[in-house]
Amino acid sequence: MNAGPGRLTAIGLVHLLAGILAPAAVFAIFFLAPAEKTMGPVQRILYLHVAVAWFALGACLVTGMAAGGYLLTRRPAWDHWSCAAAETGWLAATLTLISGSLWARAAWNTWWTWDPRLTTVFLLWALYSAGLLIRAAAPDAQRGARLAAVVAVVALVDLPLIFLATRWFRGMHPVAPAMPAVMRAVMGLGAAGFGLVLLLLLVHRRAQLGAAHRLDLLEWEANDGESDRGLCRSLDGSRALCGAPGVAPAPAPQAYRDAGKCLPAARR
Amino acid sequence: MRKLVFLIAKDLLGEWRLPRVWPAMVLVGLVVAAALTLPLEVLPEQKRQLGPALLWVAILLAAMLAVERSFASEQQEGAWEGLRMYPLSMAAVYLAKLGANVLAVVALQALLVPLFAVLTGLPLGTHPVALMAVVVLGNVAIASLGTLLSALAMGLRQLPGAVALLLLPAGVPVVLAAAEGTRLAAEPTLAPMFWRWLQFLGVFAAVFVAAGIVLVDFAVEE
Repeated sequence: MNAGPGRLTAIGLVHLLAGILAPAAVFAIFFLAPAEKTMGPVQRILYLHVAVAWFALGACLVTGMAAGGYLLTRRPAWDHWSCAAAETGWLAATLTLISGSLWARAAWNTWWTWDPRLTTVFLLWALYSAGLLIRAAAPDAQRGARLAAVVAVVALVDLPLIFLATRWFRGMHPVAPAMPAVMRAVMGLGAAGFGLVLLLLLVHRRAQLGAAHRLDLLEWEANDGESDRGLCRSLDGSRALCGAPGVAPAPAPQAYRDAGKCLPAARR
Repeated sequence: MRKLVFLIAKDLLGEWRLPRVWPAMVLVGLVVAAALTLPLEVLPEQKRQLGPALLWVAILLAAMLAVERSFASEQQEGAWEGLRMYPLSMAAVYLAKLGANVLAVVALQALLVPLFAVLTGLPLGTHPVALMAVVVLGNVAIASLGTLLSALAMGLRQLPGAVALLLLPAGVPVVLAAAEGTRLAAEPTLAPMFWRWLQFLGVFAAVFVAAGIVLVDFAVEE
């Protein structure tokens, strides 16, 4: 349902909240949060670090669950969610590693150490990266979506095991450290503000993938003319390449094959 | 069950007639073992501490060669099309490939475990049954995950090393658990933590055998 002028939609509300909370978080980090006694200003990295780390874990969950939905239903919408969550999750995991490394340099006098939590996030990042590479390397978009979905489900099953295995080793990474209430509040504000910005990135990327998919279907229909060349209705009501009974499915046009690629589809 | 045995025998017979994967796997295992242990200029006690982790890294790296070829080898001379004509589900094909891979990794472990005991001075005979349990579960865990990834990599000829890209990060929990289990099995008394790592390996193996049976259909779909 389209919202009329002046009506606030859910996504509009998220935009509004992100627009308020993200700048407020930046302000609070630099001007409200007290400087930590031993580390000084470098400790402020923590507020960004926690937010992106939580988002990376959440995005991994969304990627795996949407991938499962795609494998079960083959609705392109599930793949668009999975693809968008994988991309934004990869970005958040990368930011987690970089911000953590900068913090570690100040706190532990080293850029990197094989601490259980650091190792876990690195493995999460490696699995995200492998999933994106596999999607990009697939010969067509449908196969890429299917193989990336299998990888996402494997990663979803594997991640709790990675967490469990690494948690049984003692590490240096702080777990729920004691901090003043104002620091805790700023951390919550940072998690909400930065998390909402990343969530908007995810939602817009999904919408972009969906729009590219619809456009490619329209182009295909315009080029082929008739709908009896193997077009039919899929579960989500969109036309899919499933073929009418007794009719060989029409070959997918190049534009359709590119539509599901994570990288922006090249327009011809 | 009989069909499953025939499929495993088919893979083993192919390897017997034209040995390619097993010799390469064993050679890589030996080279990795030498590369990891010989340059270690550390105290004997430290060598014993490091030994189990190095052993399982060597097993994972060498086993990768065997598992990544298990589905790829079917792509030659229309073998895959022939296999698809068998009255068998893809889950049964996965289990057969898993069986052949488990046997390949058994051969590798039979060589590498005693070799590491000699090279690092690790007293692996302290609790032989406990060690055997770790070796078997670690084997099934690596082989089940690797076989599924091998099926997935069949559709990715443009991406060399796809199995390694996934197996190395996803297999880290197995290496950690198996290395800790092996280390604890070499201690004079079995610590309670040993059973925790063993359970973990069992859960990992069970989860990935189940995941392989469910997901293999999606991984190889034409």
